[in-house]
Amino acid sequence: MSQAGPHPEVQQIPGREDLRQRIEARIRRMERASGYGLWSMVLFLLVSLAAFDGFSIFPDLSEDVRKFLGAPPPGQMISLALVVYAFSSIVRTLARMSRNIQPYMGLMHAAFFTAFYSFYYLSGILQDNFWAVFFAGISVMGLENYYLWSHSSEAVRKERALLETMRRNGDGERG
Amino acid sequence: MFSSINSRAIVPVACAVTGFVIACCVLLYTFVKDDLVKGEIQHAVDLSDTVIKSTRYAMLKDDRDTLSNIISSIGEQNQVEHVRIFNKKGLIMFSRDAREVDQFIDKSAAGCNECHAGTVAKRSLGTMAKARQFTNAEGHDVLAITAPIYNEPECSNVACHFHEARQSLLGTLDIGVSQAPLKQTLGQLQNRMIMFSGMVLVLTVGAVCALLYSQVFLPIKKLVDFTEASRGDILDDDFPEMSGDMARLADAFQKMTCRVRELERRDQAKGSKSSSRESLL
Repeated sequence: MSQAGPHPEVQQIPGREDLRQRIEARIRRMERASGYGLWSMVLFLLVSLAAFDGFSIFPDLSEDVRKFLGAPPPGQMISLALVVYAFSSIVRTLARMSRNIQPYMGLMHAAFFTAFYSFYYLSGILQDNFWAVFFAGISVMGLENYYLWSHSSEAVRKERALLETMRRNGDGERG
Repeated sequence: MFSSINSRAIVPVACAVTGFVIACCVLLYTFVKDDLVKGEIQHAVDLSDTVIKSTRYAMLKDDRDTLSNIISSIGEQNQVEHVRIFNKKGLIMFSRDAREVDQFIDKSAAGCNECHAGTVAKRSLGTMAKARQFTNAEGHDVLAITAPIYNEPECSNVACHFHEARQSLLGTLDIGVSQAPLKQTLGQLQNRMIMFSGMVLVLTVGAVCALLYSQVFLPIKKLVDFTEASRGDILDDDFPEMSGDMARLADAFQKMTCRVRELERRDQAKGSKSSSRESLL
C-alpha cells in the first residue's frame, strides 16, 4: 500500500499575490455579471420598441412563411401563458432572494418575452396586448436585475473588504 | 437610494407587484373587450338573420316596394348606420340611403375582400369572419355584417319570378350598427379597472409597508440607535413591546451591553488596585 502523500504542487498554499489576483478576478467577474443583467434589460426595451411599432422595421411575413409556421395559438392561451410565466418568475425570484441563492442573467427572460411579442404579432393581436407584455417584462426583469445587482454589489463589497484586509496585513508585516 | 433596509425591502417588491397587477389588468381588459365584441358581433349577425327572414316573403313575391319599405324602416332604427341589399354582381338594389341604389359595391373594400380576396369567391364565412369594423364617412365607428342570401327551392320554382337552380347566391345583405355604446361601455370599464387596480395597489403595498415598518424596521431602528448611542445598560422604557425574534435580539443586545459594562468595571477596578499598590510601594 502506497503511503505517498498529496502532490507537492497541490499541497502548496497559494501565495498572497496569487490570492489577490484571484479575488480581483472574482470582482471583475461579478461586475461583468451585473452588466449582463443591464444588457438583457436594454435588449428587452429595444424589442419592446420594435413591438410597439408592430415590428414594422421587419418585412411582412410571406404567405409561404405563415403556412410553414402554421396556425398561431389562440390569443387567450398566449395571455394565460404570459400570466403564468410572469407570476412564476416573480415568485421564483422572490424565493431566490429570500434564500440568497445566486441569481442568473435576465437573457432568458428577454428571450421569453420576445417570444410572447412574436406570438401576439403572429396572432394579429399585438396592439391590444403590448402593454401587458411590457409591464410583465418590466416587473419580472426589473426584479431579477435588482436582485442580480444587489447580490453582485454585496459580493463585490465583501471581496473588496477582503482585499483591504490583506493589504493592511501586508503593510503590518512589512512594518 | 437603496442604502436603507426600508427601500431595499419595499421598493423592488412594490415595483414587481405593481407591474404584475398592471399586466394582469391589461390582459383582463383585453379578455372582457374580446367577449363584448364577440357578443356585439353575434347580436349583429342575429339582426341580419332577422332582416333576411323578414324580407323573405317580399323577395319571393318580388314585392320591391314592400322590400324597400322594410329596409328603410330598419335603417331608421337607432344605432343602425347603414343597411343595403346588393345582388351577386355587387349592384345595390335596396338601401336606407336612396343615393346608393343602382351603384356598384367596391369588392376590394373592407368586408368584401374576405370572400373576394382570391380568384374564386368564398361561398360561406364563419360568424366572426362576416364582421368588419371601420370608421364611416361620418366619423362613426361601425360594426358591419355581410350576410349572404342563398338560393332556395322556393326561389327557383315559383312561376312569377325565378332564379336558376344552379345559382347558389342571390345577393348579400350588408348591415352596419354603431359601436358607440360598446365604446362607451369599454371606456367605463377601463376607468373602473384603473380605479380598482389603483386602490388594490395602494392598499396592498401600503399594508405591507405599514406592517414591515411597525414590526421590523422600527424595532431595528431603535436597536441601531441604542447600540450607536451607547448611553446606558438597558433598553429605553419606550422601546416597543416585541415578541419572537425581535424580542430575542433585543434581549441579546441588552445582555451583551451589561456584560461589556461589567468587564469595563472589572478592568477599571483592576487598574485602580494596581495603581494604589504601586503608590504604596
